[in-house]
Amino acid sequence: MGMRLTPGAFAHPGSSLRYHTGSWRMQRPVHRHRAAPCHTACPSGEDAQAWLALVEQERFREAWECIVRANPLPAITGRVCHHPCEHACNRGRFDQPVAIHHVERWLGDRAIQEGWDYPAAAAAPAGTPVAVVGSGPSGCSAAWHLAQQGYPVHLYEALPVAGGLLRSALPPYRLPRTLLESELERLLSTPIDFRPAQRLGRDYSLAELQADYAAVYLAPGTQRSRAWDIDGATPHDLHIGLDLLKRWVDVGSIPEWSSVAIVGGGNTAIDLARVIRHAGVKEVHVITHQSLPHAGIRQEDAMPAIVREIEQALEEGVIIHEHRGVQRLVLRGERVVGLELVHRKKMREQQATRRLVSFEGTESLLYADQVIPAIGQTVDPKGLEALLDHASHLAADAVGRVTGHPGIYTGGDARGDRGSVTEAIGDGRVAALAIARDLQRLKDSDTTEPVPVAYDELNLNYFERQARPATPRLPVDQRTAEAEVTGSLQRAEVVGEGQRCLSCGNCMTCDNCWTLCPDVAVLKTRDPEDENSGYVFDYDYCKGCGLCAHECPTAYIVMEDET
Amino acid sequence: MNETSDNNPLRELRKLQPRFSGMESGHRACLGCGEALAARLVTEAAGPDVIYANATGCLEVFTTAWPESAWRVAWMHSLFENAAAIAAGMEAALKRQGKATRVIAMGGDGGTFDIGFQALSGMLERGHNVLYVCFDNEAYMNTGIQRSGSTPHAAATTTSPAGKLRMGKRHLKKDIVTIVAAHHIPYAATASVAYPSDIRKKVRRALAIDGPTFLHIHSPCPLGWGHDGSLSIEVARLAVQTGLFPVIELERGGLAGVMPIRELRPVTDYLAIQQRFRHLFADNARAREELEHLQALADHNIEFYQLRGTHPDTRDTEGADTVTRGGMRWA
Repeated sequence: MGMRLTPGAFAHPGSSLRYHTGSWRMQRPVHRHRAAPCHTACPSGEDAQAWLALVEQERFREAWECIVRANPLPAITGRVCHHPCEHACNRGRFDQPVAIHHVERWLGDRAIQEGWDYPAAAAAPAGTPVAVVGSGPSGCSAAWHLAQQGYPVHLYEALPVAGGLLRSALPPYRLPRTLLESELERLLSTPIDFRPAQRLGRDYSLAELQADYAAVYLAPGTQRSRAWDIDGATPHDLHIGLDLLKRWVDVGSIPEWSSVAIVGGGNTAIDLARVIRHAGVKEVHVITHQSLPHAGIRQEDAMPAIVREIEQALEEGVIIHEHRGVQRLVLRGERVVGLELVHRKKMREQQATRRLVSFEGTESLLYADQVIPAIGQTVDPKGLEALLDHASHLAADAVGRVTGHPGIYTGGDARGDRGSVTEAIGDGRVAALAIARDLQRLKDSDTTEPVPVAYDELNLNYFERQARPATPRLPVDQRTAEAEVTGSLQRAEVVGEGQRCLSCGNCMTCDNCWTLCPDVAVLKTRDPEDENSGYVFDYDYCKGCGLCAHECPTAYIVMEDET
Repeated sequence: MNETSDNNPLRELRKLQPRFSGMESGHRACLGCGEALAARLVTEAAGPDVIYANATGCLEVFTTAWPESAWRVAWMHSLFENAAAIAAGMEAALKRQGKATRVIAMGGDGGTFDIGFQALSGMLERGHNVLYVCFDNEAYMNTGIQRSGSTPHAAATTTSPAGKLRMGKRHLKKDIVTIVAAHHIPYAATASVAYPSDIRKKVRRALAIDGPTFLHIHSPCPLGWGHDGSLSIEVARLAVQTGLFPVIELERGGLAGVMPIRELRPVTDYLAIQQRFRHLFADNARAREELEHLQALADHNIEFYQLRGTHPDTRDTEGADTVTRGGMRWA
């Protein structure tokens, strides 16, 4: 518009919109989706922030579909997972972490109740099939992810039924069998070709698999117990932890002992201690050189068992001896009557090396008429001799390619550096993606771990403190082998947890930037695809003050230097 | 001046924004200007049927770089001292014409506390149906950061510098809202730019009242206070959370409501992020004494207005700015 001076120095006013204050800018705000800490912490690769946002809006089915794109078994992991997501949750530093684990469980249960099907696969099965050996959590996950990508999958299982360790080692009070059956049935009703009662090394060989399939994923788990003795002494009726647990889960009967000592601090030791306690054994001792988990204990010094399970075991009267080792078995003939315990701790030496130290003069006697080692398992070498070469576990790279054997992949417990159902499920997914890339001769995408949004990057002035709902637990006197100990949250509590989520690194369309921009340079848009938020920046006017970035509650806006 | 042809597709989106905005982009306020934001929030809450009288000051200067205007409402610039008198005249004329259009007078702290005070007092005393909004950035920022009656104690300005003889401004901040309320007007309130919902609520409240009303909005000035433009809201929020700027409502001179402080912060949290208070953090007895003095002033406010919240409340310092998915706030 032309500018015209008139005698009274009067000018028709023009709009200041003609003046683009954007030219002042040294930095520009940009929307950047960044990983929430729960997302990077999840061994299965679930983006909890994303599905909690859907839960908050009561879009439960979409939330569940968001989970199963990473983890096809949420009702199971919602029960058995050690939820590193909650330990990482930024809300934990504000008040208490979001109850992610319990929301996942609630969604998983709802999917079973409502009979929700998995979202449709990307493509119909075609091309060369891929073999998956073992139908535990890792094998199931790999098979499902391969099928989702359109690969025909043959899933081999040595036993007549699927489930692996989920069925054989997880006691029903942690994982009710009806739920396990429902989730496995849903998974196996997809185009996966399930081949039960086919044992590697008996019914088929690794060489046959390599000849018949484009790729092989090995998820045999760890079926062999580590050898155990104390200075060469082994009780004649030695029971090994995981074997006993499997037997109990199958048969359901425990010998009548009056006191039992279990050696080990992992989940097998704790599960077994509780199973034996539920069966009526009065004194159940757990002996571990590690610490009970509590504030101030470093993760590598604490017992590896899930904190929740340790707490429940203590409630039920299991006696845990921390920082103790077994120095000697007290035998009468070949029968155990007790153990000589000693204070024992892992001490830090130079750099990263640590050494178990027993402290002289701290020996004590513990009477027990049964001792059960639960100190870990190794891969059963049958059929895998060529890969193992006398090692206890399979060696593989980060995505599961077995070292020195192209076309063979592995994950889960067989790797030796894993210890949980969730990690096994994550391995299955990561390996399935690697198999797909390798078969299509694509390069690995950038696997550098994204840096999650840190607590200090959030603007917490915009949130209010609010307690996390308590999880119902079965009273100790009502606990049995079958009744599930941990209860579910209510629907309203689940939605409330969605609201408590701080939405780290993702827009929650709170209107802060739109309301607070002094230069009206943030515009609301109706197009939800715009920048994955409800807003766009008008760089014609944005002066780059950074106020929107500072006041963004979720750190979704970051400032970038102008070039 | 960047006069590129306007083919930006956001031009259309700008017209479709679901809010009334009396102030547009392109104004020349500094980066992170608290006053620009506060003024826009006032126009947003007041709606389109309002005539504004604007005293000389930053707001007038940066919105109307001749021959352009950022205002999308009827707006009139007066002198430094007479925004209230102009508003009173406009109100009288509208009344005579039988029109329901509302009048809002706007001024900075200099134009309100000092230079325009007698016109304001007269307008209040004559009972004009005008909302007077004071954007308080605690000095004459437009002319180069000279102290005003509103500059807080111990703040350094170009005319109250910190040095060997003085620790910034010797005198106290004038308690304008109580002085205004002493005119026995129906409604006088303070607000902070850190709490937009509270501003909206108070503007609507004031405009619903027949008679003179007054709103005093604390609006940080990054340049004059010496903080990064990105921190304007943070600074304003801390002024409220420390008790140095009490957010209160007075009706007919009596205290009718406060924004309670849920999580009280020490005044040093507020002072330490502003260059104008930098001298208070020197390691000497004078500085320590002045810090204690400012804490005592905050403590006095908290006690006098009973600012400590007794229980969590949606309208206290923590609840009033709570956000939820989808942008629903309580006002």
